[in-house]
Amino acid sequence: MVSQLDPTPTDGYGTSTSSLQRETEDIITRHIPTQGTAHAELQKKLHFEFLLRNLRQGFPERYTSQDASQPWLIYWTLHGFSILGVGLDDQTKKRTIETLLAMQHPDGGFAGGPGQAAHLLPTYAAVCSLAVVGRPGDGGGWDAIDRKKMYDFFMSLKQRDGSFLVSHHGEVDVRGIYCLLSVATLLNLLTPDLLAGVPEFLATCQTYEGGFCNASFPGWAFEADDPEAPSDSPRTYDPSAPRPPLGEAHGGYTFCATASWVLLQPYIKLYPSAAGDSGSSSTPAINTRALLRWCVQMQGLPIELGGFKGRTNKLVDGCYSWWVGGCVVLAETLLGVAGTHESVPEEHHEENDEDGQKAWDDADDSLFNRKALQEYILCAGQHPAGGLRDKPPKPADAYHTLYCTAGLSAAQHRVIPSEARAKAVISAWNASQAHAKDGTAYAPSSDAERERLDELRKRIFAHAMSWSEEEGTAVYVGGAANRVNATHPLFNLTVTHSDGILSYFYGQTPPSRYANKPATK
Amino acid sequence: MSELLADDPEWADVVPIRQYEDVNPIAPIFYSEEYKDATDYFRGVLKTGEMSPRVLRLTERIIRMNPAHYTAWQHRYKTVIALKIPLEQELELMNEIATTFLKTYQVWHHRRLLLTALNSIDAAARELEFLKTVLRADAKNYHTWSFRQWILAHFNKEGRLWAGERAYIEDLLEQDVRNNSAWHHRFFVVFASGVRLGDEDRDQVLRRELSFAKEKIALAPNNSSAWNYLRGTLEHTNTPFSALAVFVEPYTTSQPPSRGTDDVVDLDNPPPSAGAQLPATPALEFMADIYEQEGGNATGKAVEIWKSLANEKDVMRKKYWEYRIRNALSNA
Repeated sequence: MVSQLDPTPTDGYGTSTSSLQRETEDIITRHIPTQGTAHAELQKKLHFEFLLRNLRQGFPERYTSQDASQPWLIYWTLHGFSILGVGLDDQTKKRTIETLLAMQHPDGGFAGGPGQAAHLLPTYAAVCSLAVVGRPGDGGGWDAIDRKKMYDFFMSLKQRDGSFLVSHHGEVDVRGIYCLLSVATLLNLLTPDLLAGVPEFLATCQTYEGGFCNASFPGWAFEADDPEAPSDSPRTYDPSAPRPPLGEAHGGYTFCATASWVLLQPYIKLYPSAAGDSGSSSTPAINTRALLRWCVQMQGLPIELGGFKGRTNKLVDGCYSWWVGGCVVLAETLLGVAGTHESVPEEHHEENDEDGQKAWDDADDSLFNRKALQEYILCAGQHPAGGLRDKPPKPADAYHTLYCTAGLSAAQHRVIPSEARAKAVISAWNASQAHAKDGTAYAPSSDAERERLDELRKRIFAHAMSWSEEEGTAVYVGGAANRVNATHPLFNLTVTHSDGILSYFYGQTPPSRYANKPATK
Repeated sequence: MSELLADDPEWADVVPIRQYEDVNPIAPIFYSEEYKDATDYFRGVLKTGEMSPRVLRLTERIIRMNPAHYTAWQHRYKTVIALKIPLEQELELMNEIATTFLKTYQVWHHRRLLLTALNSIDAAARELEFLKTVLRADAKNYHTWSFRQWILAHFNKEGRLWAGERAYIEDLLEQDVRNNSAWHHRFFVVFASGVRLGDEDRDQVLRRELSFAKEKIALAPNNSSAWNYLRGTLEHTNTPFSALAVFVEPYTTSQPPSRGTDDVVDLDNPPPSAGAQLPATPALEFMADIYEQEGGNATGKAVEIWKSLANEKDVMRKKYWEYRIRNALSNA
């Protein structure tokens, strides 16, 4: 019998990896409460104060390293508030919208700061921040997003292998693809031109371990891999040439590639012939079983409190609570393990017994250890002075504060696609409104193509709107007082915020998530 | 040069641009005076599009304070090209910045742009040597590894560039057999990037790689990196896992088999080291996969292993092992 807190076996053969691992286990072990985790407390007030200090007073000088990521500082803070259940006053919203709009580039997209070049990563952070604080109309921010120019900016980054540069003269990276696809989904900017070759590119980024790397090498399969080559030159493609992954399987890239893959499902189904320009008709595929295996293998041992690692034989880090812990439900969805269900109203909280541990085992279909992940975040992830962190004894920072709380949310709430919700959304679908709100000025080549694009828009919207919390499956280590809000597994926004911005940019008024719910209790 | 550009007559002709003109920003960063000054002038330079030697100095100044300032890198690259600065000189200048800020994306991307423009095998070969010194300091640096793989693929010169890679990997795994980046690099070199010179006999390559992985597993049987490589090798070559059943079996028992009493040493199936902590979880998983692939009556044996993993040997992944049981039984 393996005892509860055995260290990672070293087989009597120590190396630098195993000694670093051992040191980390020693530190984490000291953070396991002697009285157990049943009463571990989420220090909501301290974290709230940490976030508020950053937002109101600003960030200390060491955050100069984030000067080219200013929309991220805002997004991490705002969405952190949302997860903690804190709303913002109108004056703060107004100032935030003005700050974000100062970072919109005159030629489309958002930059890391005013006067900087547009870049896919801050574009995601800015649009998600606007989903939190913005609204339609004057001063609301949403109508000030120049979607036409943003689409043109996206297209200007497109490469022959289906990938995108993150910025002009920038690198190719699946984080950029995820950011682009999230934004294009939220803002109704998806077209077959934009998406051509993206699934094939993503599929080449899966490594033999099952996770994904940051990019693959296009040069042998396409004519060149010159990042400055014009994107409109025809794609000549040699399907027999290797497109090897560059870099090993990694948590951040695995989340981005997997979420992108889920977002692309309607496109892959509707546009199968788009795969491979030179007649290769095979539908691009990933190894989903290997993906799931890799994700669950990243969860640390009990001695590591079940935190997640970002790569094989690396250390646990609180941020992978979201990037890998949050990826498990996406892999389950792709495998068809996450079944259909009735959605649960947000107001409905689970009845927990005194330990907050009721019905752990029967209620929960998740394929990772949700309870252990919460323990890691509560016991090792919280900084005593507020904010959350990689691991002790590191300081808290804005990035880890968001991704630890988002990971905690993913461990508390099981949010999966609901077929019933998708049907309800589709039944209220208004195709002409959705078409009228298209932000791209893309002109389909025929009526059939127009219909196919309308269908794509509908399916993308319905899928994005369908994610809902599975009834009766919430679990709160330390009791219901530790509850944080659920977050959308694809966008990392609350469903209230993603529903709001999606409905606006597709011109839809979907039925309420909570209306017509038969009284069951 | 004085501390601030604002006090420097050389910059008197440039109009600095403040970051936020009419906005009272939320969540501001408290920059140092030097950083604020340099970026104010940088925004001024971007507005006029100036590309000059002093702009090279300015971008370097910003990069040293914030190596993630991708716009400064972007403008620096354009300026280097526009001024026809010798690219080797720029690479050389950036060596120290690269080693200081090796966790920054932009540092490595800049070198990639320079190497692309240089288009020289000699420069690529020198870069591979430089990366060895960087990896000596941080053997798992993601960007450095991914950049190394790009250089090999992009310049693709068999003798000059690829030839030394397997030996290099073996050195690194000699130092730390748990270095997953080195294992991934081996897969990149041997399987993912086509066929290396001398590797044309793929059956021989498969035998070689299986022996290599088995030998490393024997040293430290709980090392997931080596097991993942072994699995990857089998899957890539469509070899059934059962081909390794004889090798894996001793790793799944709690007592290491007695050693040394037997004269016959089975080189194909190296036994677990004396210090091995058995059974090794990755071996149990592997054995269950063999039984699952076999199907039929063997499924029951797989289920037994998964149960022991779920309830005893790897309880953290209880849900996953139970899923594997459900999945196998529903397919049986």
